[in-house]
Amino acid sequence: MELLQYSLRKLLGGIPLVIGVTLVSFALMVYFGPDQTYLLLGKNPTPEQILEVRQQLGYDQPFITRYLGFLREIVTLDFGAASTGEPVMDLLAKTMPVSLILILPGFILGHVVGLMMALAAAYWRGRWLDKLIMAIAVVGMSISFLIVIIGFQILLSSSDGLDLFPVRGWNASTFADYLTYVTVPTLATMFVAVGYETRFYRSILVEEMSRDHVRTARAFGLPESRIFVRNILKNCLIPIITRIMFSIPQVAIGGALLIESYFGIPGVGKATYEAIVTGDQPVLKAVVSLTAILFVLVVILTDILYRAVDPRVTLK
Amino acid sequence: MSTGDIQPVLRVRDLSIEFATEEGIVPAVDRVSFDVLPNETLGLVGESGCGKTVTGLSILRLIPMPPGRIAGGSIELNGRDLVPLAARDIEDVRGRDISMIFQEPMTALNPVFTIGSQMVDVLRRHRDLSRREARAVAAEMLAKVNIPEPASRLDDYPHQLSGGMRQRVMIAMALSCKPQLLIADEPTTALDVTTQAQVLEQIRGLQAEFRMAVILVTHDLGVVAETCRRAVVMYCGSIVESGTVEELFGHPRHPYTAGLLASIPRLRRERLPELPVIPGRVPDLLALPTGCRFADRCPRVQDRCRLERPALVAAGSGGSQVACHYPL
Repeated sequence: MELLQYSLRKLLGGIPLVIGVTLVSFALMVYFGPDQTYLLLGKNPTPEQILEVRQQLGYDQPFITRYLGFLREIVTLDFGAASTGEPVMDLLAKTMPVSLILILPGFILGHVVGLMMALAAAYWRGRWLDKLIMAIAVVGMSISFLIVIIGFQILLSSSDGLDLFPVRGWNASTFADYLTYVTVPTLATMFVAVGYETRFYRSILVEEMSRDHVRTARAFGLPESRIFVRNILKNCLIPIITRIMFSIPQVAIGGALLIESYFGIPGVGKATYEAIVTGDQPVLKAVVSLTAILFVLVVILTDILYRAVDPRVTLK
Repeated sequence: MSTGDIQPVLRVRDLSIEFATEEGIVPAVDRVSFDVLPNETLGLVGESGCGKTVTGLSILRLIPMPPGRIAGGSIELNGRDLVPLAARDIEDVRGRDISMIFQEPMTALNPVFTIGSQMVDVLRRHRDLSRREARAVAAEMLAKVNIPEPASRLDDYPHQLSGGMRQRVMIAMALSCKPQLLIADEPTTALDVTTQAQVLEQIRGLQAEFRMAVILVTHDLGVVAETCRRAVVMYCGSIVESGTVEELFGHPRHPYTAGLLASIPRLRRERLPELPVIPGRVPDLLALPTGCRFADRCPRVQDRCRLERPALVAAGSGGSQVACHYPL
């Protein structure tokens, strides 16, 4: 009951956020985004044609009318058709799963490997292993993502390298195909993520290790490894949950623009990017508003998870 | 310190502890020796930074190593030296043979586990008990420290208890495996005065029941006078005076001890124009003088004090020891 009340209150509180985000992004796309009129009409259009297209696109309406129309679309979750004629929701339903299964393995592995490396670094902090791991992390973080992608493509997918995987493209019709296409992007994502995740996890682990209650656990003879796995990790869950949860909107809707464009994968990141450059407002409106809504949901869910892992948290 | 024929529970000899810092090696504890007899309470007294807490922590090897290091000496528990023990073996000693409670009851317990789960963890670490048996023992221990409704309190989280209650939970946890020695590091400093008295009373009562020795690390001479039989006064990493509480308080021999006693505010005495203080400051551990470490602040300082460091020698007939060339 407490949970339900809390969620409802937070959902209502999220409305201003959604309005704010959509208002700003809509103003940006209307006043600064590309104008589709000329894209659709080709060379030398007549003024009548221009007028007609602008009417079709709704560009002739005053801003506030258009924005109210946008809000209506958000409530009904119907954003109309993209400039290709395909309904926006169909486009998203097609591209979002692709992005999700493309990014998730790298995302999860990045966190898992980062956590493992951080545990080792924190356990042997100040020793050579810690220094080695942190050096690797900094190197991983310092190499440009593009170079990582190209490097992996050369190493694994070209005739100069192992030539094991396709360079570009996407096919997830069978699991074997999926593995073939997802491996190189996953390795690239992981390579970049691991450095950041290791540093993040090590810093929260080391901070937690210096707490009084850890000294207490030690003073009562609990072995160091057990203190790490049971006590420290549970105490660290709040920052960990925060970090993972707040990456969800980005993973689910943002996609991985660089990965998708470099590997020619038809994900939502690529679709969004194309909508931005062509000024395909229905698609942009959908992406912007769904991201904002997902963000509100994530915040609520994050608070509920806090409550689950830390008895001191109350939902108010 | 003479201890007669009784075998001490703990015999610390020439214990030295160093910390490696960026500025150099800090000798936090310098050749400290003392004995703790069975069933007695020994006070370890001194101002902040004198090394008393580090001494207490190092008995269980709880100082962070590195940067800390036991540079020399021995810590014998019933004749067995703890210094060379392997990590696993010292873990067995912690909480079972020697327990420790800390200054900050607010942060010393893990906030995300119930007190029952934390107590059960300790019990099952050292005693062969099922979860259910361990819970029963835990509840029994909570009852011993006068926590009402102990069985249901086990499911409380630390934040649901007051500071005094948490400290009593710590005591219950510390005694749950029936240690021979309890090291209490400023156990009452963070508590208000009435709670302080209760907690000290609790420790004293349980000490008799469990027949254990207690090392009370504190800066509070009042607490020492009330609870200890003997005390060791530390200054700047080494012992300046030790003896029975009556001797120390009645006839302080080291000027530092005398200065500490004089600077306690007293209510019932005629009002002094100003509370006496020990002038000067504690020397930097990185740049210690060659002579007596108290020389710069001592009202009785002589030339010899600045040149030659006094050793801890027997003084008087009551088994006191003092490290001063010109004791009072």
